[in-house]
Amino acid sequence: MANSNLPRRIIKETQRLLSEPAPGISASPSEENMRYFNVMILGPSQSPYEGGVFKLELFLPEEYPMAAPKLGRICLDILKDKWSPALQIRTVLLSIQALLSAPNPDDPLSENIAKHWKANETEAVETAKEWTHLYASGE
Amino acid sequence: MDFEDEDGYTDAEEEELDSQGGSDVGGHLSEEDENKDCGHNHTALCEADIRNLQEQVITEVSSVLNITKYSATVLLSQYNWDLNKVKDDWFADEEKVRNKVGLMEKPVHNYPPGKKEINCRICFDDFLPRDMVSASCGHMFCKLCWKGYITTSINDGPGCLTMRCPEIKCVAAVGEDMVNTLISNEEIKRKYSRLLLCSYVEVKRNVKWCPAPDCDSAVEFVMGSEMFDVVCNCKYNFCWNCLEETHRPVECDTVVKWMLKNSAESENVTWILANSKPCPKCKRPIQKNAGCMHMTCTPPCKNEFCWLCLGSWASHGEKTGGFYACNRYEAAKQKGLYGEEEKRREMAKSMIEKYTHYYERWQANNKSRTKAVADLHQVETVQINILRDGQGESDAQLKFITEAWEQIIECRRVLKWTYASGFYLPEDEPEKRQFFEFLQGDAESGLERLHECAEKELVRFLDAKEPLEDFKEFKIKLSNLTSVTKKYFENLVRALENDLAQEGITSCKVQGRP
Ligand SMILES: [Zn+2]
Ligand SMILES: [Zn+2]
Ligand SMILES: [Zn+2]
Ligand SMILES: [Zn+2]
Ligand SMILES: [Zn+2]
Ligand SMILES: [Zn+2]
Repeated sequence: MANSNLPRRIIKETQRLLSEPAPGISASPSEENMRYFNVMILGPSQSPYEGGVFKLELFLPEEYPMAAPKLGRICLDILKDKWSPALQIRTVLLSIQALLSAPNPDDPLSENIAKHWKANETEAVETAKEWTHLYASGE
Repeated sequence: MDFEDEDGYTDAEEEELDSQGGSDVGGHLSEEDENKDCGHNHTALCEADIRNLQEQVITEVSSVLNITKYSATVLLSQYNWDLNKVKDDWFADEEKVRNKVGLMEKPVHNYPPGKKEINCRICFDDFLPRDMVSASCGHMFCKLCWKGYITTSINDGPGCLTMRCPEIKCVAAVGEDMVNTLISNEEIKRKYSRLLLCSYVEVKRNVKWCPAPDCDSAVEFVMGSEMFDVVCNCKYNFCWNCLEETHRPVECDTVVKWMLKNSAESENVTWILANSKPCPKCKRPIQKNAGCMHMTCTPPCKNEFCWLCLGSWASHGEKTGGFYACNRYEAAKQKGLYGEEEKRREMAKSMIEKYTHYYERWQANNKSRTKAVADLHQVETVQINILRDGQGESDAQLKFITEAWEQIIECRRVLKWTYASGFYLPEDEPEKRQFFEFLQGDAESGLERLHECAEKELVRFLDAKEPLEDFKEFKIKLSNLTSVTKKYFENLVRALENDLAQEGITSCKVQGRP
C-alpha cells in the first residue's frame, strides 16, 4: 500500500490533526489509504449552517505538499493558484470553516448557492438553514 | 497578352524554347531570391540574439537602479519589460516598488539568535541553518523542499516568473539566481530561462517567434513595412501578419478564413487526404507517390489519368497541347423548378462540392510541395554528385536542376494558396473567375510539365554509366520549362495582386474557350 512510503510531513500532520484537533473540525485518515481523509466540520454558530455537520472528503495527491489537497467541489483560492506548501490540511479546513460563517458569493461553495445568495440574501439564508436541517443534521 | 489567343500560349512557349539557350537560363522565383529582395523588412533572430536584446534591458535597469541583474530581471518581468515604467515607479517610491515585487532590502523574518536547528515548514524536519536557504525575506526552508517547490512552479508554466517565497502571505520574489543555485536539472533550468525569454518576446510588438514546430528562433520586423513575407533562420517562410506559411499573392484575410474553414470541415474531408484513389478505368487503388499529378496505373491497365480530376491525362498533357482545365470549378447548374426543400438540399450539396474541389487542390499542392522540398534535398546531397561524375558536368553546369526544383517548390506554394483565393472569388463576377482560372490553368499545366520532367526524366541519367548525348537536350528542356513556368506564375501573381482587374482588355476571348 502507498501507506508504507508516506512522507514524514503527512505522518506528522496526521498525528497533530488527531492529537490537537481544531475546534469544530475533525479529520481522520482512512484505514486503507492514509492519503484519504474523512472530514467533518460543524456549522459555525450564528451562521446559516449552525447545527449542521458538513462531511467532506479530502485527498492528498502524490505531489502534496507541492500540490494542494483535493477537496471535491469546494472552491477556495488556496486550493488553486494560491496554494503554498507551507499551508497545511489544518489551514485548509479552517478556511472552509471561515467560509461557512461568512459565505462569500464571489468565491462560492457551490454555484447554485452563490446565485441564490446574491439575488436574495434572506431567502438564501433560509434555504441554507433548511438544507442544513435536511442533509447535514445529526448523521 | 497570351490569353487572348487560344494558340498563343503554346506559341509563346515555343518562342521561349527557341530563344533561350540552355546554359544561362537562370530565371526562377526561388525563396532565396525573394528573401534578398525583401530582406529589409525583417531581421531573423536566433535565441542568442534575443537573449542579447533582453540582457541589454536588464543591464540598463541594473545599472540605473543600482540593483543586481537578478533583481532587475524580477522587476522587469513583473513590469512586463516596460523599462520606462520601472524607472518612473522606482524613483517615485522605491520602497513601494520593492514591496510590490518582493525585493526586500533586509529580512522581514529573523530566527532567534543561537538557535541550532530550524524546522522546515514544508517537510517538518529540522535542519542546521547552513543547510537551509531563504529569499530576501529570510524565511528558511531546506534545500530539498526549495527544489521541489521551484521545480513544481516551473513545470506549471509562466507563473514561475512571479514565484514567491513559500511562506504563507510572504511576497518575497524567488528569482533566477535561486533557480540556478538550487536546481541541478538542466532541463528545468532551461525551461525557466526559456519562459523568461518568452515573456520578453511576448511584449515586444516587433518580435515574434517563428511558428515552425521545434524552432527556437524569432523574427524582428521593421514595423510599417508593406511586405509581410519573412524568413526565419530555420529557412521557414512565413507571413509576419497572420503567421501562416508565406501566402503571397493571397491576402491574409483569405488565408485566415480558409484555414478556419479547413479546421471546421476537417471531419468531412479526411477522405481527401487519402493517398490512394481507384483508377478511373480498372478501379484498382493507385498510390500517389510522386509530386506531379500525372498518374499511371500499374500494368496491364497503364491508364494515364489526372490525380485531381481523374480525367484522362491526354486531355491535360503536352501531347495534345490542349487546354488545361482541371483547376476549374464548374458549379452545378440549377435549372428547372425545384421545391424549396430540394433547392436547399441541392445548395448544400453544391457548397460541399465546391469546397471539396478547392480543398483537394490546395491540399494536393501542399503535399506536392513538401515532397518537392525533400526531393530538392536529395538532388543537392546525392544526385548532383552522381551527375557530376557520371555525366562529367561541373557543379555550375548542373545548377539548372536545383533551379528547376526551387522553382517547383515556390510554384507549388503559390498554386496552393491560389486555390484558397479561388474558393472565395465573388460569385457575381464571372469574368474575374474566368480570367483567374485561365491564368491558374496555364500556371498549373506548366508546373505539371516542369515537375514531371524534373521528377521522371532525370532518373535515366542517374543510372547511366557514361555521359549520354541527350543530357544536353534534357538540360535545355528542363531549363526552358523552368523559365516558362516562372512566367506563367508571374502572370498569375500579378493578376491576383491587381485583384484580377483586366486593364486594357476589352474583349476577352477566354469566354469562348471550352
Ligand atoms: Zn524541507
Ligand atoms: Zn518569505
Ligand atoms: Zn524558424
Ligand atoms: Zn498573412
Ligand atoms: Zn487502371
Ligand atoms: Zn485533372
